[in-house]
Amino acid sequence: MYLLSKLRETILSLKAGRVTLTYPVDPRPVPERFRGRPVFQPERCIGCAGCANNCPAREILIADPCQEMRVVMYLGRRCTYCGRCADLCPENAIVMSQEYENASPKITDIRQSLEIWMGTCQRCGRCFKDAGPLDQLMMKGYRFDDLGAELWVYKSRAYLDREPVVKDIDIELD
Amino acid sequence: MGSQEILNKIRERYGASITRADIPANNRLLVFVHPDSVKLLAKYLFRDLDARYCVGIGMDDRPYSGDFLVIHDFAFDKENVLLSLIIPVPASDPKIPCVSDGIPAANWSEREMRDLVGITAEGCPNPKRLVLPDGWPEGLHPLRKDVPWNQVPEGFDDTKTYPFDDPPPGTTVVPFGPFHPTLDEPSHFRLYVEGEFVRGCEYRGFMVHRGIEKLADSVMTYNEIPMLAERICGICGCVHSVTYAQAIEQAAAIKPTPRAEFIRTIMLEIERLHSHPLWVGLAAHILGFDTLFMQSFRIREPIMWLAEKITGNRKTYALCVIGGVRWDISPDLKAEIRQVLDKLEKEWKGVLDAVKGDRNVMARSKGIGVADKKLVKEFSLLGPVARAAGVDIDVRRNHPYAAYDKVEFDVITQEGGDVWSRIVVRVLEVFESIKIIRQCLEKMPEGPIRAEPAAELPAGRFGTSSVEAPRGEAHHFAVTGEENRPRRWRVRAPTYQNLQGIPAMIKDQRLADMTISLGSIDPCFSCTDRMEIVDLRTGKIRVWSQEDLLRSTTKIRRRRS
Amino acid sequence: MRGLMVFFSSIMNLVLVLLIAPLFDGVTRKVTAVVQSRKGPPVTQSYMDLMKLLIKEDIEVGDSPVMQRFSALLSFAAILSVALLIPMGTSAPLSGWADSILLIYLLTLAGISVLLAGLAAGSTYSLVGMSREMMAMMTLEPLMAIAIIVSAVHADSLRLDAILGGGVYTGSGILWSRILILGVTAFALQAFVGRMPFDVTEAETEIMEGPLVEYSGPKLALFKYARMAKMFLYTGLFIALFVPRIETGYYLADLAVFLAEQAVLVLIVTVIAATHARYRIDQVVRYYVVLFIVALLALLLAVIGS
Repeated sequence: MYLLSKLRETILSLKAGRVTLTYPVDPRPVPERFRGRPVFQPERCIGCAGCANNCPAREILIADPCQEMRVVMYLGRRCTYCGRCADLCPENAIVMSQEYENASPKITDIRQSLEIWMGTCQRCGRCFKDAGPLDQLMMKGYRFDDLGAELWVYKSRAYLDREPVVKDIDIELD
Repeated sequence: MGSQEILNKIRERYGASITRADIPANNRLLVFVHPDSVKLLAKYLFRDLDARYCVGIGMDDRPYSGDFLVIHDFAFDKENVLLSLIIPVPASDPKIPCVSDGIPAANWSEREMRDLVGITAEGCPNPKRLVLPDGWPEGLHPLRKDVPWNQVPEGFDDTKTYPFDDPPPGTTVVPFGPFHPTLDEPSHFRLYVEGEFVRGCEYRGFMVHRGIEKLADSVMTYNEIPMLAERICGICGCVHSVTYAQAIEQAAAIKPTPRAEFIRTIMLEIERLHSHPLWVGLAAHILGFDTLFMQSFRIREPIMWLAEKITGNRKTYALCVIGGVRWDISPDLKAEIRQVLDKLEKEWKGVLDAVKGDRNVMARSKGIGVADKKLVKEFSLLGPVARAAGVDIDVRRNHPYAAYDKVEFDVITQEGGDVWSRIVVRVLEVFESIKIIRQCLEKMPEGPIRAEPAAELPAGRFGTSSVEAPRGEAHHFAVTGEENRPRRWRVRAPTYQNLQGIPAMIKDQRLADMTISLGSIDPCFSCTDRMEIVDLRTGKIRVWSQEDLLRSTTKIRRRRS
Repeated sequence: MRGLMVFFSSIMNLVLVLLIAPLFDGVTRKVTAVVQSRKGPPVTQSYMDLMKLLIKEDIEVGDSPVMQRFSALLSFAAILSVALLIPMGTSAPLSGWADSILLIYLLTLAGISVLLAGLAAGSTYSLVGMSREMMAMMTLEPLMAIAIIVSAVHADSLRLDAILGGGVYTGSGILWSRILILGVTAFALQAFVGRMPFDVTEAETEIMEGPLVEYSGPKLALFKYARMAKMFLYTGLFIALFVPRIETGYYLADLAVFLAEQAVLVLIVTVIAATHARYRIDQVVRYYVVLFIVALLALLLAVIGS
């Protein structure tokens, strides 16, 4: 019985053949429904901030540097790839792509930032409408590099600060 | 017998102690009592009515009712009732008589209550810290409502170490973990060894406590919590997200759509299908039998691909929302599921035939890690551990949820209570799961996959839910709240109970069998330690009692998927 | 002239062991992988592993680093010395200068070096592993000794070339003792080379590698090399003792035959190792004790002339 068991186990193994895949030498495609990295399409976004409201990991942040501009930033560090942002977006501006090889030492590779020009409504003062090119030209006082990091930050200190905890890994934060 | 009968029975003996009783559904019972009668009533439920102890919960209800609340959950398996014994504890004096001297299974729950909410169980045997790290300052109880979720405590003392008991005379101490090649997740068992035999052990765990319950009641919202819940465990993620959704649905009286219930059932069984072969492989690896390990994982891989096709990810399905599910199963997918199941069944049958006569494996697993019926009752051991001891409990049959009342399946039990019985139980349960999925695929009705609940759920409602995870019963308790999030959410994973039985299982066994005994309960430490955020830096400089452990530099937490 | 021959022959033996042992290990890993339905490492992987270990930093941890260094070197040296006493193709290089007592001694010394390793490290797990290795050694090493002694009794001499030249087959009759001792050594071969199901002390998920837990870098390379060489040498010893020799007279042909026989043995050992779970130390010791009693019986039979 014992020898028979061992024989059966060996035959089971040999019948299966060798199943080692050649990834990462060869690419490995994923099924259609695979939830990879979400890709934000700025031309479709209307700045409703529904995605930011419903992100479980709070990785989509909104800042309004001025009346005419809303910045939607997807930080992507703790993104759970759940796809709620894609489900919720009324304009289908977010697509869950099939990319899963997303590791990078630079936060800028993962971060996606959308600057949405908002046109103002004459009655309420704010509206989800694209500003025309003329309005965009007439915008003054907005400097892209002056967003100010304070707009993004929570009060938590439970994140990596500038000092790398492990000295030989270079993580760029900005 | 439903809730009303059980309430009547309790009223006969302890009617005077009950201040209020609610029957939200035929299989749920909420009984409010005064703290003085807790001990006797709990003992009555556990011993005389033969209920199973699920979990003890401490809750800070001071912003709403002015008191703390202690809830003890019991399960009546034969009657299909989940009972919650709710005890208001005055905020000025948060003490409650302990129940763990009569119910050993409540030990960890009471220690956790004290660590995290600050409710002391008087007379608790073994009042040491369970969850909080040793250097955590006294008096700061994280789950209280006045403590912010991201607070870094002042006065954290790096040098404090855990006060272990003295070893029994004649034994030496062998530290097992937190770094050990067999353990995937860190936990520390302090073994007292005499020669080759283990005479006792002390457990110090909760090193990967992550603060999930605190996040759920301060930061996240109802529909976001399933994403968090499914990351409680590296294998049984779907279980926790379904249990959570069911608890909230029960509390707010929302019924998920029929099709959603079937889809939840299918995904739960798919999860069992990938968990049990994984465990068989792991057990084989612990025994040194790497070939069976490789084969189990090879046979299991198509299930992972299948889950990826249905939900978009191999393991974190992101499946549940309150009221339904997010992914549908199209007819093509149905055909594909059937194909994968057929192949799996055939190959797994081969494994069963090969292993069931294998004396080599039997020699390493028979008579090891024995948990008899008495231990199962005392510590409320669950799942395959209980079924292998001959105790016939299975939440799918006893407290049917989702679509389990509409399918037929057998509950596999074995006599013996040792590691070999657990292997047999898990191998045979795979076939039952395949049976269930096939029935679901046929019986699944058409229709929407989400119910649209009201925009605001009523606050202050209690909900409990039990689901049969691959490791046993996962039990969640939730109280709905304001601002679109629960007031309290308590997760009790099956390993939480099963780990409490380990010291008895490994007593007087050989040191070599320690690993396989521990492995045979299929421990999922990430399920067990799920609470409390600590600053990353302070967590890292915690010091353990063994000097050698200081030298190790990396903590590896391997995701099993 | 004779001295020169011995010198070259020794060098040849050492080169063979050093070169071929990792190759056998690679073959073992590859065959194990095939049994486990995977691709496995390339056959040359063991060479690369050894080289990688040798170039690593030598971290000294443990109770007494001097003893640790000594035990690593002793293990390697003892094994290499054994290589000079095994005939590979031709008679053993030192067969004129050494006898089988030295062979038994050196084999035991190789085992003791692992015990020293565990003791010198002094950590809890290495001590536990060392105690297991000691238990296993006490019941296992005598088996090889008895096999050699049975041959000695039959060949009426302790000289290496008499014993290792198929000495066990001299004499006539049913040769019960020979069959018994052949059986015992065959059943124990798996244990001698330290593979599943008998690798209680070595690669142990239960006690974190046992005696070798505190070793890394070059010291670990020496121990690993010694282990690979053990496989080579024990199979070689088995062949020398029990497999009738085919003398073609050409060194290379003899060597090829020897290596082929070894390869067959390695394959058998590997397949058995891949299909078995590890036994616990008490089960292992019980197994060895049974074999030991049978071996004693064989010795008795040999002495009374059967």
